[in-house]
Order: sequence, then C-alpha cells, then structure tokens
Amino acid sequence: MGAYLLRRLLYAVLTFFGITVATFTLIHIVPGDPITFYIGHAGVTTIPKATLDAIKREYHLDEPLPAQYLYWLRGAVTLDFGRSTQDRRPVTERILEKLPNTLQLNIVAFVLAALFGIPIGLWSATRSGRATERASAVFFFLLYSLPSFWVALILMQIFSVKLDILPLFGMNSDDFRELDTFHFLLDRTKHLVLPVITLAYAQLAIFARFSKSALTEVIRQDFITTARAKGAGEGVVLWHHALRNALIPLITLLGLTIPYLISGSVIVEQIFQWDGAGMLYYDAILSRDYPTVMGMTLITALITLIAGLFADILYVFADPRLRLGESIR
Amino acid sequence: MTSPQTWTRFRRSKLALFALVYVALMTLIALLAPVWRIDPDAIDLSHRLAPPDAAHVLGTDELGRDILARMMFGARISLAVGFFATLISVVVGSFFGAIAGYYGRAADWIVSRLIEVVLCFPFLFLVLGIVALFRPSLMTIMIALGLTTWTNEARYIRAEFLRIRELEFAQAARASGARDARIIFRHLLPNAIAPVLVSASFGVAYAILTESALSFLGLGVPLPTASWGSILSDAKSQIEYAWWLILFPGLAIFTTVAAFNVIGERIRDALDPRST
Repeated sequence: MGAYLLRRLLYAVLTFFGITVATFTLIHIVPGDPITFYIGHAGVTTIPKATLDAIKREYHLDEPLPAQYLYWLRGAVTLDFGRSTQDRRPVTERILEKLPNTLQLNIVAFVLAALFGIPIGLWSATRSGRATERASAVFFFLLYSLPSFWVALILMQIFSVKLDILPLFGMNSDDFRELDTFHFLLDRTKHLVLPVITLAYAQLAIFARFSKSALTEVIRQDFITTARAKGAGEGVVLWHHALRNALIPLITLLGLTIPYLISGSVIVEQIFQWDGAGMLYYDAILSRDYPTVMGMTLITALITLIAGLFADILYVFADPRLRLGESIR
Repeated sequence: MTSPQTWTRFRRSKLALFALVYVALMTLIALLAPVWRIDPDAIDLSHRLAPPDAAHVLGTDELGRDILARMMFGARISLAVGFFATLISVVVGSFFGAIAGYYGRAADWIVSRLIEVVLCFPFLFLVLGIVALFRPSLMTIMIALGLTTWTNEARYIRAEFLRIRELEFAQAARASGARDARIIFRHLLPNAIAPVLVSASFGVAYAILTESALSFLGLGVPLPTASWGSILSDAKSQIEYAWWLILFPGLAIFTTVAAFNVIGERIRDALDPRST
C-alpha cells in the first residue's frame, strides 16, 4: 500500500510538470508577438522601442524558450503568475478574490446533486428490470443531454420573467449593502437558486447513473448470492452486504466531477453574471490577458490533479483489498 | 468486431432505432439546407421578432431573419463539428492507444502519463482557451475538440490491443514476418475498433453540446453564420418577449445530443449484454 501511494504521489508530481509544459507550450504557439503576453496588444504600438526592449529584458523575452519556461515555472510553483495585462494587479490576487464566489456556487450544487442523486441511483438499482427503473434510466439520460445554457434561459424565463419571484442575474440585489445579515443571506440565497439548479441537474444525473451501476455491479457478485443462499433477507443483503461495497467506487466520482464543475461554472457564471473565477477566465481570454489565462489554467488543472490524488488515497483506505503494488482501475 | 448479433440486439431497442432515424433525418436536413428557398442571413427589418406564423414557421429574430432557415443551416455546423471533431479524436486516440497497447512498457507508460496530463485540464476551459486565442472558426473548434477528447478512445483501443495482441491471428501475422505497422493497422485495429463506436457516439453528442456552448458564449463560428448556440445567445437579450427564440434552437440541440447519447448507450449494451 505504501509503495502504491508513493508511486501515485510521484506520478502526481510528474503530471504537474506535464501540466506546466502543456500550458506554457499552448500559450507560446498562439500566433503573435510574445511581448503582448505582458503588456497587452495596445502596448506594442504606443510604447517606445527602448522601453519595449527594457520590458523584454525584464521578462526574459530575449532568452531562449526553455529558459523562459524555467523562469515562468519558478514563479508558478510559488503561485506567482505575474501581473494581469488588464489591471496590472497580481494574477494570484485576482483569482483568490473571485474563487470564494465560485466555490460557494459549486459546493452547494455538488452537495445537492450528491444528496439527491446517490439515493435515487441506489434506489433504482434495487428495482432493476422494472418499469420504474427503466423509466428513470431514460429520464436521467435525457437530463444529462440538456444543454445547461438552455435550461438556464428557460428557468430565467419562468421564474424571473413570468413569475417574477427570483432575480434574473447577479449575486446580490442593488441595495444589498443596506441589508442586515439575515436579509443579506436571504437575498444571496434567492440569487443562488437558479445558478445552482443549472449547475446541479447534470451532476445529479451523473451521480444517479454512477451509483446505480456501482450497486448493480455489486449485486451481481458471488458473495451476494452466498448471502441470499444463507437465507439473509433482501433488506439485510442490500443494506448490510451490498451497499458498503457499492459506496467505495463513488469516491472516484469526487475526482472525476471536479473538472466538470469547473467547466460548468464558466457557462453558468457567464449567464447569471456571477462574479466568480469562471467569469474572470472568460474575460481574460477575450482580452488576451495571457498571465491570467495561464494562471487560471494551471490552477484549475492543479485543483483537478489534487482532487484525483485525494480520491485515490481515500480509495486505498476505504478498500481493504487493495494491497501493495496492486493497481487501481 | 461488430457481429450480426450486435445489430440484432441494438435493433431490439425502439428508442435506439428512433434515435437513429432522427439523426439520419437531421443529417438530411443539414445536407439539403442550401436547397431551401429562404436565405438564413436575409435581414427583413419590417418583420423583426415576429412570432411563428405561416410566413415564418418558427418566427424571426431581432433582425427579421427566418429562424427555421437559420436552424437548418445551424444543423450543418452542429453535425459537421460533431462528426469531424470526433473523427480527429478517434484518429488521435487510436494512434496513441494502439502504440501503448501494442508496444507496452515504455510506450504504454508515456501514453498513460500523457493521458493523465490531458485529463487534468477542465475540458471546457481548455477548449475555450484554444478556440479564443487561436481565433474562433469551424476549423479551430473541430481541432480543439478533437485534440482534447481523444483520451477515451485511446483507453478503449489500448485495452482491446492488450487483449488481442497475443491471440493466434496476431501471432500468425507476426510469424509470417509482417511489419509492426501492418500488424497494427491491418490486423489489430479492425478488431479493436468496436468499443470505439460507443465512445465516438458519446463523443459526437459531447462535441455538439460543446460547440453550441461555445457559440452561446460568443466564441463559436464567427457571425453571421447561423448556429444553434448563437441563436440562443441572441435570445438572451430578448428573453422577455421572444419565447420562440429560446424554445426551438434549444430543443434542436437537446434532441440531437440525446439521440447520439441513446445510440451510444444502446451500442454499449449490444456489445456487452451483461452490462446495464
């Protein structure tokens, strides 16, 4: 087990370097003068040549690409991605400022999706072959195929335009500074409802499908047949024997859904004008703010990497069958 | 290898057959769109935001353009991106999967690490970044999608190769002195491609969904070319008046994506009847 964890950790470090190389390469094959990475497009024509040369020296642009990569990497490992070309503020500061808003949205969506999705999935696994099970399978399938931005527009149309009970977009009402704590939270909750639903429904479908197939897989195994043959009641077989084993694979979902959530928040934040990291990224790519784009790309990849690592470690502790050197999945 | 039994089992699902017919119909509409008598980009300011009626069956947008015509041309974009992005994904995935599965050892190790790196990037972030920075166009979108989604195909092909590379027919080919490339492409790949059908079908669904999301975010195929996502994007500013701008393009995306997902699901069931 120790050897496995050590190898997994080593691979994670390796993957991290892979991520940095990929990010750096991707940005540097984008057509255009690299100096625009640091001063923006407008800067190239307005700044005198001597100043440009000084900037090039300052950012090591006069050195070969591998050296530039190392300079960038040195900053990146300490989460220093330089300054944004939009407002000259440090990239890390800008990201950390918006991240809590994104997390608020994502955590609520994640928890709700798990809270409803997992029990529904487990329940439908126990009804295998019946009409309700097949109907729910198709339903989740369709849910998964719905484009989130369409769902958002429909929700807005119904709840904000027609019924006028929820705000159309934004994080707070205009007068939020004058509200007391209770009404501020109430106001924020109202603003959260539609974005959370938009983010959560597809997650819910994924959770339901995954937990259903996990339990179905376990029910098929020999030890369940043995338990039944011993005369254990169907309830005991399910809740005592099967469920524990079915829950273990769910851990991997933790690592798998993080990138989907991050991806989803770009769309949701954009539609609902939610002032989070997804919007920051969207604005950054539109204004070609390369330091911010690189910073966001690296940080989100890093979050995914850590979530995956965390899930794998949890998995080892949750499943006593995993022994030294044995590979997972 | 897809056997006749697979098709028999696939056919048993009415939903899957329906999805197949639907996709065929949508493809036909996409191909025949230019034959349609209405110009999708024709601006008619005297008929702005007209609700569905006899003249404009699905209504018009804020420039008086016919939504039905725009959606028919939008089908071309969606299906083209769906098919070609998936094609790139299958080619790249098969290449890496075949190398990893056939040579094993160092090759397998390198490909596995490469897949790990690609999977760490939140998919939409990567695609959005690539498309925006290299300037949005049909080609950029297809390539960006293809180069970020090949990991599934690679894993399927790798697993199949590991399973079949020591089977008798592969050994026979090797014994008869065939070169590696010939063994891989002529003998192994055709026998390993069946599971890829499943991920390719899901891949088309995902590519269509992503293209419409990109267009919705204003980073899709450049305007005024019609795309389902860009019609929805216009609908955003008309949300208080024009329900038809929201309903029809969204329905088109949803049903097409669902159809490809259903087909993928049923192929998977048909290939492996034991799985649910």
